[in-house]
Amino acid sequence: MPARISCPYCGAENRQGASTCRLCGDPLSAEAGFRPAAQRKLLRRTDFVAAARANRQATTRLVLLLLAIGAGLGYVVGWNLEIFLGDAIRVADSYRAYEQPGHDSIWFLSAWGLWGMAIVLSLSVVWTLIALRQGDRIVLRITGARPVTVDEEPVLHNVVEEMAIAAGIPKPQVVVIETEALNAFATGLSTRRSAVGVTRGLLEALDRDELQGVIGHELGHIVNLDMRYATAVSTLVGLIALVADAAWRVVYVSGRAGAARRVGGRPGGRGGGGGAAVAILILFLVAALAPVFAKLVQMAVSRQREFLADATSVRLTRNPHGLISALEKLSQQAAPFPGANRATQHLFIVNPFKHFPEKASRLMATHPPLEARIRRLGNLGG
Amino acid sequence: MELSTVIVIGVLVLLGFYLVSTYNRLVKLRNQVRNGWRQIDVQLKRRHDLIPNLVETVKDYMGYEQETLRQVIEARSRAVATEGKGPEEALPAEQMLSGALGRLFALMENYPDLKANQNVARLMEELSSTENRIAFSRQHYNDSVMAKNTAVESFPSNLVARLFGFRHAAYFQIDTQERAVPKVSLR
Repeated sequence: MPARISCPYCGAENRQGASTCRLCGDPLSAEAGFRPAAQRKLLRRTDFVAAARANRQATTRLVLLLLAIGAGLGYVVGWNLEIFLGDAIRVADSYRAYEQPGHDSIWFLSAWGLWGMAIVLSLSVVWTLIALRQGDRIVLRITGARPVTVDEEPVLHNVVEEMAIAAGIPKPQVVVIETEALNAFATGLSTRRSAVGVTRGLLEALDRDELQGVIGHELGHIVNLDMRYATAVSTLVGLIALVADAAWRVVYVSGRAGAARRVGGRPGGRGGGGGAAVAILILFLVAALAPVFAKLVQMAVSRQREFLADATSVRLTRNPHGLISALEKLSQQAAPFPGANRATQHLFIVNPFKHFPEKASRLMATHPPLEARIRRLGNLGG
Repeated sequence: MELSTVIVIGVLVLLGFYLVSTYNRLVKLRNQVRNGWRQIDVQLKRRHDLIPNLVETVKDYMGYEQETLRQVIEARSRAVATEGKGPEEALPAEQMLSGALGRLFALMENYPDLKANQNVARLMEELSSTENRIAFSRQHYNDSVMAKNTAVESFPSNLVARLFGFRHAAYFQIDTQERAVPKVSLR
């Protein structure tokens, strides 16, 4: 009996007994494969169009999940605030709404919770809009990229122009990073104002077809508005972290409120018993887990967008072999990349931190493993 | 107000929304197709402009290939004459030009001096990039045509399309004959 089973979709080796593939997330056993079978067939049979559709759906689900995490967090914070502060305020006003019959029919229903939810959701919209208005040009400065003229790099300019024509968008600005490392990136919040960058090492190592595949991938990021996605998602993640921080303060405040109540000896106050204990327990859990989950979702979105950009590249070039052989070259590179950092790593075509996938969990990676990407591209070509 | 009146008004409003959004989508698709064709036109024009330079440069090296050069020039002038006209007229002339250029490129392989020339190398890069651009703009055009035709054909947007007279767009097709390997006579 084999100790490992291979995934029917992407071919990755998985340990015996695993229910889903560690690379592509497809179910491994026959009975588990019932639900996504249609989607898998779609991906395999019909090329990039279906691949792009499946991917966009996955991204939408992830963003909705992120919003749900934020909303849930806001609700729990509001709910706890209502229990521990609302009561105190009402007591001070000698207004005891809670003693009216019928109000507490559902113990976790809370008006303040709904307010908290609304506040978090509207904050995330406003904050994201502000973030999207900020200049995207900062990226170019961080990475140390330099714009090049047509006379300096005629082939690069031609390839970018060709891909822009294939995508039906204006030609992006062309920049080069002077380093031996092999990498490429794209930036731009709209298709009208964008930039594509490659490293000097990449220009020297790749032939025209491979360069075309890489540039197609980068234009894919621009066409799919991935910078917008990344900005929106990272703003949401930041906001969730902030609200979770605030939640810890609520825990602290409600702890003191609880102590004061015990001292004050106000028996029979609403939420003084089981409800409040459960609420504060949930708050603990949510405040601790929400930021971690949000981060995981962010990384999952990033990986999905990489797959989507690969599929878009094939849509533009109609030739998966260029990108496949480029990715193979990229995976064998030795030169380190000094210009990259945590803030910009998700922009690049392959993760600039070379040993990242081996060291860290796959869940926290911004990019899917290269083998998985190459395997998917192979499927598109077949 | 009666409940039924409210429902009827609601349905009408929804229908109106659908009509407006579908109409706008069709307009967008139609403009995309038109713009797609203009892009092809731009690239074809670019090719016409590059050819005289190339012919001028290679003339001195390729004294024995006068016939091929003459064919290229002739095909170019015919293609230039169709500039600005629709796809139906421009297509045959452009295909002839592609064929003549392909033969010239193949012959140039026999002249190592020519390939070593910086100017020629640059012109070749520009011309092959232009060939790519024509292919990619054609691909984009055909993608746009497909999107528009899908919208015009599929239910229920086909009802809106018929109502406002949106029609099928024509694909940019290449004759199978043109794709075939050119025949070489050894006599």
